[in-house]
Amino acid sequence: MKKISLFLDSDFVFRFKRDRIAQISFLVFLTFVICAALAPLLSPFDPYDPMQIDIMDSETPPIWENEEEGSPFLLGTDAQGRDMLSAILYGTRISLMIGVFAVMLQAFLGVSIGLISGYMGGRVESFFMRLADIQLSFSTLMVAIIGLAIFQAAFGTELYNQVAIYMLILVIGIAEWPQYARTVRASVLAERRKEYVDAARVIGLPRKRIMFRHILPNTLSPILVISTVQVANAIISEASLSFLGLGMPVNRPSLGSLINSGFEFVFSGSWWITFIPAFVLIILIISINMLGDWLRDVLNPRLYKD
Amino acid sequence: MALLEVRDLEVEFPLGRRTLQAIHGVSFDLDKGERLGIVGESGAGKSVAAFSILKLIAKPGRISAGQVIFDGDDLAGLSASEMRSVRGNRISMIFQDPMMTLNPVLSIGTQMVECLHAHRNISGAEAKRIAIDKLREVKIPSPEERFENYPHQLSGGMRQRAVIAIALLTDPAIIIADEPTTALDVTIQAEIMMLMLDLCRNHGVALMLITHDLAVVSQVTQRIVVMYAGRVVEQGPTQDIIADARHPYTRGLIKALPQQNQAGARLNQIRGSMPTLDAIPVGCTFSPRCDFADNLCFEDEPKLRDIDNHRVACHFAEKIVDQLKAGDADEQ
Repeated sequence: MKKISLFLDSDFVFRFKRDRIAQISFLVFLTFVICAALAPLLSPFDPYDPMQIDIMDSETPPIWENEEEGSPFLLGTDAQGRDMLSAILYGTRISLMIGVFAVMLQAFLGVSIGLISGYMGGRVESFFMRLADIQLSFSTLMVAIIGLAIFQAAFGTELYNQVAIYMLILVIGIAEWPQYARTVRASVLAERRKEYVDAARVIGLPRKRIMFRHILPNTLSPILVISTVQVANAIISEASLSFLGLGMPVNRPSLGSLINSGFEFVFSGSWWITFIPAFVLIILIISINMLGDWLRDVLNPRLYKD
Repeated sequence: MALLEVRDLEVEFPLGRRTLQAIHGVSFDLDKGERLGIVGESGAGKSVAAFSILKLIAKPGRISAGQVIFDGDDLAGLSASEMRSVRGNRISMIFQDPMMTLNPVLSIGTQMVECLHAHRNISGAEAKRIAIDKLREVKIPSPEERFENYPHQLSGGMRQRAVIAIALLTDPAIIIADEPTTALDVTIQAEIMMLMLDLCRNHGVALMLITHDLAVVSQVTQRIVVMYAGRVVEQGPTQDIIADARHPYTRGLIKALPQQNQAGARLNQIRGSMPTLDAIPVGCTFSPRCDFADNLCFEDEPKLRDIDNHRVACHFAEKIVDQLKAGDADEQ
């Protein structure tokens, strides 16, 4: 209880209460999270159940464009007759999951590597930072495409479709760790020179404890800020990969694969199959990025304007 | 045998192709329960000497020669984990700025309990009890509440008290205090110094007080070591050094103190400034700033030698003192 009241009294909450944009984007993001979490309850159909899909319903327009009365498909259907609303809810769930877990993996790898190389210095630091430089010289998508394409070629599409979500998390997670490693290393280099680190060493604390208990909490604010941006980036990466056919399979679509699946029908008039998921994706990304911007402003006292 | 013996300690910092020698053949002893002052200007090597006792010199510095013998053990021979059990346990250290030495994101209590857990195999509740006892001992009011507080919630003096409480946690044999009052204002300085003096007396803890403030040293310590450019230039009992310094540098430091009994008199200052480590003069390191320097001083570096109950590194220790005494007498 004490912790909660302390949190409610904090500067953080105070600033949140005064920032309309932050509130709106938080609300939007929260709506996405709730919809994603409750997708099985909220969606009128189960898009994973082939029994519920009827090819005769295919390419039904959204109800406001539909001349036939009483269509059960609020946002229309795709080329296979799948309800778009349900598919989007489930797709958001998959996109968010991939985004969050991939960022957790990135953060785990990047923070550990950054912390160790910043604190130890010397050869360890040079090794990991050169590794990061090399990896940054390839684009994330390139690394991911190569990794996923090799996996598909080696183990077949069948197996790939079953483990696609884990593979995407793994590939996006591994491809972006240098962002974290570099940021954390830079903060550690600044923190390491501070006297509390000397004091901790003088007390006789072991090195691991100094790194993770003393230095890490002091580098948290940049980690939080890049985490928000990275979640948005990971979702975009996943959508791009899915759009290129390397992401989630059509029978378990993410937002990206939904956009892809409708792409060939855009010019035949069925615009909603591509545009509605695309719109949802854009709103999701914007709300996360707005929150990230706000967080960056709050956590950086140098930017305080009032 | 002394509790801590520093013998001919040499510390150097390799810098590119050159090597800078920060500590040059420093020796001193610290007995059990004794209070020793280490005095000198900024850059004299006081802090480096303290850190080298704990084997915590910043890279790339290293101890190139000499010994540090603590309680009969040569610290150079200890492994990293044995050294950790000495640091913070048998020898604690207090730093200059308490805002910087306390971790801003951990509560005072967490930092204290953590230190106890690093050295003692005790339960959390037991550690908390000891921590609160120590907070009470350094005269922090309502220690139970302060235990939960974060460093930014305490005032400067209170923070330094908390730091002292952390240093006392494991009942160390030696506390090394590196300018513990420099970051505090004058009234708090006196309180903190008196507190440390009391604690050291009551617990029989040896204190190594590093400072450039001769006034503080003269009140608290029993013996003084004066350092200049990485060398010991004079050492002896506090009263003798203050009253009857033999080295021109020590005399200069003492004369630079404001005297209450001389209204309107100009403060003395030692001309010039201490040489940087890459430009240590040949001969006596103090010679370029010394009023008494002779050709001998520019060529030959004086060794520490016993005069009365001091040890002084000056070729003209006896002669200078006589001259200075005569000079002082003329002034008055």
